[in-house]
Amino acid sequence: MSNTPSENRARFGVPEDSMVFARGVRKSFGTLDVLKGVDIDVPKGSVACIIGPSGSGKSTFLRCINHLEKLTGGILLVDGAFVGYDLRKDRLYEVKDNELCQRRAEIGMLFQSFNLFSHMTVMENLIEAPVHVRRVPVEQAKSEALELLARVGLSEKVDSYPRELSGGQQQRVAIARAMAMKPKVLLFDEPTSALDPELVGEVLQVMRDLAETGMTMVVVTHEIGFAREIGDQLIFMDGGVIVEEGNPREMIANPQSPRTKEFLSKVL
Amino acid sequence: MNQLWVTLRPHLPFMLDGFLLTVFACTLAIIGAVLIGALMASLRTSGNRIVRGVAFAYSDVFRNTPFIVQLFFFFYGLPEIGIYIGAFETGVIALSIIGGAFVSDVIRSGILAVDQGVIEAAKVSGLSRWTIFTKIVLPIALRTSVRPMGSVLINMVLTSSILSTITINELTGTAKIVASTTFKPFEVYLVLLVLYASLTYALSLLINTVHRRLNRAMDTGGAA
Repeated sequence: MSNTPSENRARFGVPEDSMVFARGVRKSFGTLDVLKGVDIDVPKGSVACIIGPSGSGKSTFLRCINHLEKLTGGILLVDGAFVGYDLRKDRLYEVKDNELCQRRAEIGMLFQSFNLFSHMTVMENLIEAPVHVRRVPVEQAKSEALELLARVGLSEKVDSYPRELSGGQQQRVAIARAMAMKPKVLLFDEPTSALDPELVGEVLQVMRDLAETGMTMVVVTHEIGFAREIGDQLIFMDGGVIVEEGNPREMIANPQSPRTKEFLSKVL
Repeated sequence: MNQLWVTLRPHLPFMLDGFLLTVFACTLAIIGAVLIGALMASLRTSGNRIVRGVAFAYSDVFRNTPFIVQLFFFFYGLPEIGIYIGAFETGVIALSIIGGAFVSDVIRSGILAVDQGVIEAAKVSGLSRWTIFTKIVLPIALRTSVRPMGSVLINMVLTSSILSTITINELTGTAKIVASTTFKPFEVYLVLLVLYASLTYALSLLINTVHRRLNRAMDTGGAA
């Protein structure tokens, strides 16, 4: 086995505190090159926000992190380990299904369309993965679920079905569902883009709370205000590459690249 | 009207037996068809080409041949090669098989209609393919399939009248006998039509109830 974090750290020069480490990540769909070599470092406990026009590859990059998309090239490590691959004799091999499941369980992901299990109550949504993937006893999973629901302010919705909730509430349940797996990192794919404007705030507040507890987060978003306030790192992608990255406040106030400047002028 | 009653009354217990046998046979066949249909629909969405091919062949063969021919094949043909099963059992099995072929079609479209986003959400939480299919995809597909499955099941009840051709005295079988002994085919078959209509109406009420119960959670209310 040569996919241990310590070996990878030495081999690829991964910083000790790195949670997401990408070098030269490429992804093509047929002849369409969506990612053309992306390098990213997200340290543990930090929040990285990725912005960019649609089609820039930001969602695809996020989906590569938990192997929803296979890489065409490059390496991508989460907490020092490959997610969908094993390294043997200098070659990457895709891992077996059940191994992939165990590794994915460490990485939470939130979607634009919430994607709750529509036939299950909020409680059932929250305990499904802990019980089936982590083998947590049902009673324990339930009590942990109640704590998480309290954290996202939805204790009274425990027996509701997703369709009985507003979009904002559904996304907060989805965040609680992801947290129920005690992930190392949370990926957000435009978590507020499908929400009515007045519901955006409640979801951002939950994300803010999470960031304060030291959760590592990678957030693809159009909420520049959120990125400026919460982000430790802002990444602007366009055309499958990173155009500019840096401290969100500095970058928003004083973008270096003309493309960044143009994009920010449209969304601010 | 009174004349009709006087003529038919002595035969009613016999026809009631037939009615009950139809209900019994259809209940068994519907259970069989839903089980076979769910299994075949699952196999038809399998990643394995051979498994998928077999399941497709099953539904194509049984949907594209007349039921009465299938029935005769099972009842008269199979004993030729040493397979003996009773008439009633043959009838129930044949009905389950053709029902299963149609049900598998309905459930398969239900499976294909499950939101990919929901499947991805299940994947990223680390659930295995098997758990995703059995706990997420199939339950959602079955819920959206109840209504369209209803017309298939009602058709099975109507088709069950053909079982009378292989010596099973279900409702149509008993009616044939009563009609030929009373020489009152108009009255007897009129009653028969009413009985089938009430049976299928009751079934559709049942299906609606099941649909409502199962879909309390789902936002497919009118659209399904």
